[in-house]
Formats: sequence, structure tokens, C-alpha cells
Amino acid sequence: MSENVIELVNVRRYYIVGDFCVKALDGVSAQIRKGSFTAIMGPSGSGKSTMMNLIGCLDTPTSGYIKIDGEYTNNLTEKELADIRNRKVGFVFQQFNLLGKQTALDNVMTPLLYAGVRGRERKERAEALLERVGLKDRMKHLPSELSGGQKQRVAIARALVNNPSILLADEPTGALDSRTGDQIMELFQDLNDEGRTVVFVTHDRGLGMRCREQIFIHDGKIVEAL
Amino acid sequence: MVWENIKIALTSMVHNKMRTLLSLLGIIIGVAAVVAILNLGQSVSESITESMNVGGIDMVNIFPSGSSRELNVFDEAFGGTLMNNVDGIEAVLPVASSTTRVRSGQDILSVSISGVTSNFFEVNNAELLYGEYFTALDNINRRQVVVLGKDVADELFPVGNAVGSYVSIFRQSSKRYLVVGVLDEKDSTLGNSFDNTIFIPLNTYGQRFRRISTMSSYTCKVYDGVDATVVSDNIENYLNDLVGSDYFMVMSAASLVEMSQEVMNTLSTFLAAIAAISLLVGGIGIMNIMLVSVAERTREIGIRKALGASPGVIMGQFLVEALTLTIIGGLIGLLIGSLISYAIVNLAGWSLYFSYSAVVLSIGFSMFVGVFFGWYPAAKASKLDPIESLSYE
Repeated sequence: MSENVIELVNVRRYYIVGDFCVKALDGVSAQIRKGSFTAIMGPSGSGKSTMMNLIGCLDTPTSGYIKIDGEYTNNLTEKELADIRNRKVGFVFQQFNLLGKQTALDNVMTPLLYAGVRGRERKERAEALLERVGLKDRMKHLPSELSGGQKQRVAIARALVNNPSILLADEPTGALDSRTGDQIMELFQDLNDEGRTVVFVTHDRGLGMRCREQIFIHDGKIVEAL
Repeated sequence: MVWENIKIALTSMVHNKMRTLLSLLGIIIGVAAVVAILNLGQSVSESITESMNVGGIDMVNIFPSGSSRELNVFDEAFGGTLMNNVDGIEAVLPVASSTTRVRSGQDILSVSISGVTSNFFEVNNAELLYGEYFTALDNINRRQVVVLGKDVADELFPVGNAVGSYVSIFRQSSKRYLVVGVLDEKDSTLGNSFDNTIFIPLNTYGQRFRRISTMSSYTCKVYDGVDATVVSDNIENYLNDLVGSDYFMVMSAASLVEMSQEVMNTLSTFLAAIAAISLLVGGIGIMNIMLVSVAERTREIGIRKALGASPGVIMGQFLVEALTLTIIGGLIGLLIGSLISYAIVNLAGWSLYFSYSAVVLSIGFSMFVGVFFGWYPAAKASKLDPIESLSYE
């Protein structure tokens, strides 16, 4: 019985838009085990992005509890939330979200900078991860000089560099052609085989079913199937 | 972390060179003005101190001018009249000057020649290198004796002592004068020069060299502790009543110093006003460019927050960026201000005294402007919502 790295207990997230109350998440409870490869699936507007933002501590719930790797995120300050994002969560985005004016290496070193890791160690760890994702000879390149697949590999290296508890990927193949997308998907599967917990947010049924476990979301609630 | 932020700031400055330069203009002008004020102030006050040391600060010079019957009052006895009518004057030295040629052996020189009274040298602190001054008796008896300035003596008598030798001074015909003394080197005062001048007794000058209708100038020494500028003003008032303002000029080192201080004060006020306005405008320029920078980099801020940058870290990044910007502006301003003050000082003929407090102050000013006007944009950046920022296009 492996422990849960993510626990959501009756989580609600409401937004007030004008006179309306949008219930983006409406009472979601879920557990994600350490070392699992879980897809959060649902059509656009279902609330899966909200769920990802909450798990990634970019957002806080209106009510309910979220526990990330043993830490409750309720009532944390901005600084404490930033610290959790830094130490426990590695984000991979659809649009890569690399820092455009910085080299691949600088991009990968950035989370370590915020973690207060010293310069030499930052460089060593970032280089090791870029090598791991197959970009040893692209370290000094700017994002604009890299292909889509290479950018996403840099983003994955950056997500992993501070050794997070969760790798949180939001449609990571959405901006890639299918062949490159497959390669990125394989990289996630390899990382999961090495013991990484991967949470994969997608609206693509085909991709979602390639993950080992699935959570289906519809209209802000978890459903058995879509 | 600070170093990384400086690097980020410099990178973005290099990417937007023109924009950066324009937004820094206010700071550059402001700091340049401050530096110029301080350097000039320092240079002027040092120059004044220097001129005090040179001497002549306790002298007031009167120069009769024009040619008119009114000028008849400026005779040898005028000194006494003046001392009777204006307080604070210790001595009045009448001087009659022209130019002539002087010969010793084969050497002929063009020099200034001054007819002076025997107390002229002592009052002017003109010290002897060799020999003696001529005496009151020499003056009364119109003896043909001469005291040489240092340069004249060096030219005419390159070897040996001039004292006891004779020189020929040309008028219509040449006349022989006995050299009784040689003066040591001495800087010119407002009224008199020394090194390239020869001095003969005033009466000898009038009798044997050239008839004196009007004195060339009068050098008035004021008593110790008396303000020369006040005496200068009183002399001017007295002469205005006596002959009218067209026929004389009164000059004193003290009033020149006063004048240059007044000019300096006006200049300082003017520059300080420019500095204050420029720094304000410059600061607003900085705030503007930082707001633009924050808006342009909303997505970057979102990414950084997702990677674990706390609000404080983001705030720090943009404050360091504003500071980097303003410090660079300050350094450019420091350079330009130094060049300006160097140019002005050169034109005015003072010597440049670099004010080190200008360096500290200019960097301090720019840092203050950076923090003060960079605070709001940085705070704004730090409060951005990460989710909204990440979806910002």
C-alpha cells in the first residue's frame, strides 16, 4: 500500500463573475498515489484546469482541504505557497512557458535559484537533467533556437530539477505534432517508470487512456466515466 | 540572486537600448546638474581661497579713464584727498605707467615702466632678491635709479648681480639709470604687474621720463580688518560725486570675489532647480518604463511564480532592475556633469577641484530615485495573480 502524494477532500472552487457564481469545482475528493501516472480528463470547461491549479498551489480552494506530500495548503501565505510550488511541484505547460531571453540552462536553473541552491550545484544539477532529457548539446541555446519538442524537453528538465513530489503536466503535447507528442509521452512514461509521480491533464481521450490511471471530471465533479 | 537579477536587467536594457536611454535622460540630466553644481562650487571656493593667499585682497585699485579736464584731479596729491574723504584707507600708491625699451650692453628689451613712490614695494609685499628699494630721498631728488622686475633682470643680466650696473632707458634719447634693486618673483595683482616691469621714482618719471598729466592708477591699501568691498563702494561713491562715473574704474579682488560668488550662487540655484525638476521627471520616467516592463513581462512573472518565486522575490527582481537602471543613469550623469564642470572651469580659468561628495551624492540620488519610483511597479508585479499572468498573451 503506497501513500497518497495528493489528497483532495471535498474541494470547492467558486468564482464570482458579475452576478453569477461559477462553480468550477464543486465538491471534489480524490487521492493520487505516490509513483502513479494519473490522467485528469475532461472536456474544456469541465474544471480540470482549476483542479490542476489547485494541486499546483497556484490557487487556493473556496472550501475543502488539499494535502500535497503531507502538507495542508489551507491558510498558507503567498510566500509559503510559492515555496510549495518550488519544492513539491514541477509544472509542464502546453505552451512550454520558457523564459524567452534565457538559455535552456538558465531556464532549468531558475527553480534552484529560488530554492537558494548555490551557483555551482545549480549548474551541475541543471546540466545533468538536460542531459537526461537528451539536450546535452543544446544547453546554451535560447528557446527561440529550439524546436517545439526540444522546448518541451527543457520545460520537463526544469520541472524536475528541484526533485519535486509531483510532475504536473497540462496538455504537454497539445502544441506538438503527433510524432513529437509521442516522444514526449514516452519520456513521461520513462520518468514514471523511474518512480516519478506524474499528473497528466488532458482533454484528449487517446492520450489520457495511455496513462495508468484516470480521473474523469465533468461540470466540476468527478464522474465514473465520460 | 541579486547578481542574476542584475544580469536580467542588463539583458533587457541591451535589448531595448533606445528606450532605456530615453527613459534615463531625466536622471542623467539631473545627476549631471548636481555633479556640476558641486564641482563648480568646490572649484570656485578653492579658487577664492587661492586668490586670498596670493594677496591683493586688501587692495582697491582706481583706474582713471578717458581724456578730459575732469581727469586733472588724478594727480599725485589725489591720494591724500582720497584718504581725507574715504575711511579705512591705510595708504594710496599713485602709479604712472607706460612702456619703453631698456638696454644693457647689447640686450634690448621691451618692458613696462612704472613711476612709483618709495613705499610702493612694501605696501605691495614685493620682496627684494638683491639690493634695496629706492628711497623717499631718491624720489625727492629725482635720481635716475631703477628697481628691476625678476624677468627683466634675468634677461638683461643672465650672469651676475644686476645691482650696481647701469641700464639705458629709452625715451626720446636714452638715459642711464643705476640699478639699485632686483625684485623677487611675484604674481600680478589686479593693479600692478611685477616680473616684466621696471620701477623708477615717481618724480623721476615725471621730470626725466614723461610728463605726468594723469596717474595711470592708484593702489589703495585698506586697514587690516576693514572690508575692502565696502571701501571700494565708498571710493566709487566719492568719485561719482567728484568726477562722474565715466572717468574712472574701481576694481578690487574682494569685489571680484564677491561678484564671482554671486554669479556662482545664481548658477547654483539655476542648476539646483534643473536638477530637482530633472530628477522628478527622471523618476517618473523610470516609473513609466518599469510599468511598461512589468506589463510586457506579465507572462514571465507568471512563469517565475509557478517556478516558486515568492512575491518578495519578484519585488526584489524589479527593484533591482529599477536600481540598475538608475545607477547606470547616475554614472552617465556623473561623467557628463564632470565634463561640464571641467569645461566651465577651464573657460573661467579656475582650476578644477573634483568634489568627491559629488560621486557619493549622485549615486545616492539615483539609488533613491530608483527605489522610490521603482517601488510601485515592483509591488504591482509582485501582486500579479499567477494563473492570470500565465494566460496573458
